[in-house]
Amino acid sequence: MPGDEGLRALAAAQGIELSDEDLEGVQGFLGVFLPALARLDELLPPDAPGPGALSPAPE
Amino acid sequence: VSLVALARALRSGELSPAEAVGTALRRIEELDGTLNAFISVRAEEALREAGAPSEGPLWGVPIAVKDVIDVAGTPTTAGSRILAANVPVEDAAAVARLRAAGAIVVGKLNTHEFAYGPLTTSEHFGRACNPWSLDHVCGGSSGGSGAAVAAGLVSGALGTDTAGSIRIPAAFCGVTGIRPSTGLVPTQGMVPLSWSVDTIGPMARSAEDCAVLLDVLADAHHDTGPGDPRALRIGVAETLFEGELDARVAGFVRDALDALCEAGAAAVSLEPPYLEHAGLVQQALQFPEATAIHLEWLRTRADEYGADVRGRLLAGLFVPATAYVTALRLRSVIAAAFEEAIAPVDLLAAPTLPVVAPRVVGGAVDFGAASENVFRQSLLRYTAPWSLVGWPVVSVPCGFVDGLPVAISFIGRRFDDAAVLRAAAAFQRLTDWHTREPPIWAG
Repeated sequence: MPGDEGLRALAAAQGIELSDEDLEGVQGFLGVFLPALARLDELLPPDAPGPGALSPAPE
Repeated sequence: VSLVALARALRSGELSPAEAVGTALRRIEELDGTLNAFISVRAEEALREAGAPSEGPLWGVPIAVKDVIDVAGTPTTAGSRILAANVPVEDAAAVARLRAAGAIVVGKLNTHEFAYGPLTTSEHFGRACNPWSLDHVCGGSSGGSGAAVAAGLVSGALGTDTAGSIRIPAAFCGVTGIRPSTGLVPTQGMVPLSWSVDTIGPMARSAEDCAVLLDVLADAHHDTGPGDPRALRIGVAETLFEGELDARVAGFVRDALDALCEAGAAAVSLEPPYLEHAGLVQQALQFPEATAIHLEWLRTRADEYGADVRGRLLAGLFVPATAYVTALRLRSVIAAAFEEAIAPVDLLAAPTLPVVAPRVVGGAVDFGAASENVFRQSLLRYTAPWSLVGWPVVSVPCGFVDGLPVAISFIGRRFDDAAVLRAAAAFQRLTDWHTREPPIWAG
């Protein structure tokens, strides 16, 4: 996970300034969420199709 | 009174639209100072519209609309300061359908800010209270909708559900609510939270009431009768009876299944694959989509958000694009796996939520040993998987723990909304949990 300055730089690149309080909240959340997201790759079967929409409504 | 009974009384001339609207407005005036379910009330407009409602199945029926859905000429605040002065010029498509069917909108309902949270504790419009116990939360994000229906201020309301926002307040407030199949009800005119997962759906006293509203919203008929439980094959999602689940809640949900089985339904245990991961996959889609929707306001008006919503929106900035793509791919994989798992049965059943509504102590929600984020995740474990795959889910009351409602969910295949409504209606013909009235009902 990026450190404080990395997070500030990523936010700034999207036009957003993070306060110290924002940074603390984001760190707390990402500390749990990002490792869990990284493990999602392990769930993908090798032959999983590319991203697409849900199937359309039946006729 | 149920929405179906009210509509019948209106059609028979037993009651006039002006009387029905007047009664709703009087109840709102008497009780909403305590409940805070409404953000705005359209008293003058509703009484005027009651003079000549459109012809249709909802002729003269007062309803209320979550304040993330546009009603022309009335502010859509989304429970936020940012949209406090936002007055739409057109009805949302769902509202237009209700009004074309004769419904009369009496007001806009409180919501968690921008529909992004399960509590309805807006910093800007105040907390909506649970009619069963005023010092407990009513759930969210459609908390005003749940509270207004539970307290009998209106017999039907619109909510929205992205990751659980109809089902959570329906369960906490003891009313019936359906998250329709994704794509069944148009979302045009709704303040979006997550484009690929957002839905609009009805909340009311019973499945029969919800079906009448959904017929209008979807412009398609959803037959709930005769609701013979002997024809029902129910798959029980056993995974959701494990882990951090209040044993008393589990007991009432098992009792509900037993009631259906005693009436002839067949229940079998099922273990849909990926169920423990599906909520996270849904969140991996929702976080960046929500942040993308709010990006410009995050740049210019970030200090006008409540702290919890701002925190979630800022966190969405840092979800890697690769995780979003992985989540999109997993959605297809999981949808196919769920379809295969449900093949032997008509629908699934599970607790709507693992707990009853938490208490508010000293102005703050008491999450026990959990943080707000952990509490939110514990609810989403039950609700978000079905959002991910776009399946319909109806939540119905099935008991009480410490005087607070407990609910069971019936979960069906995508676009088989009628099946979950039939199961819910069958259960409600066997039991009377959905007819119970909270103490505040009598005023």
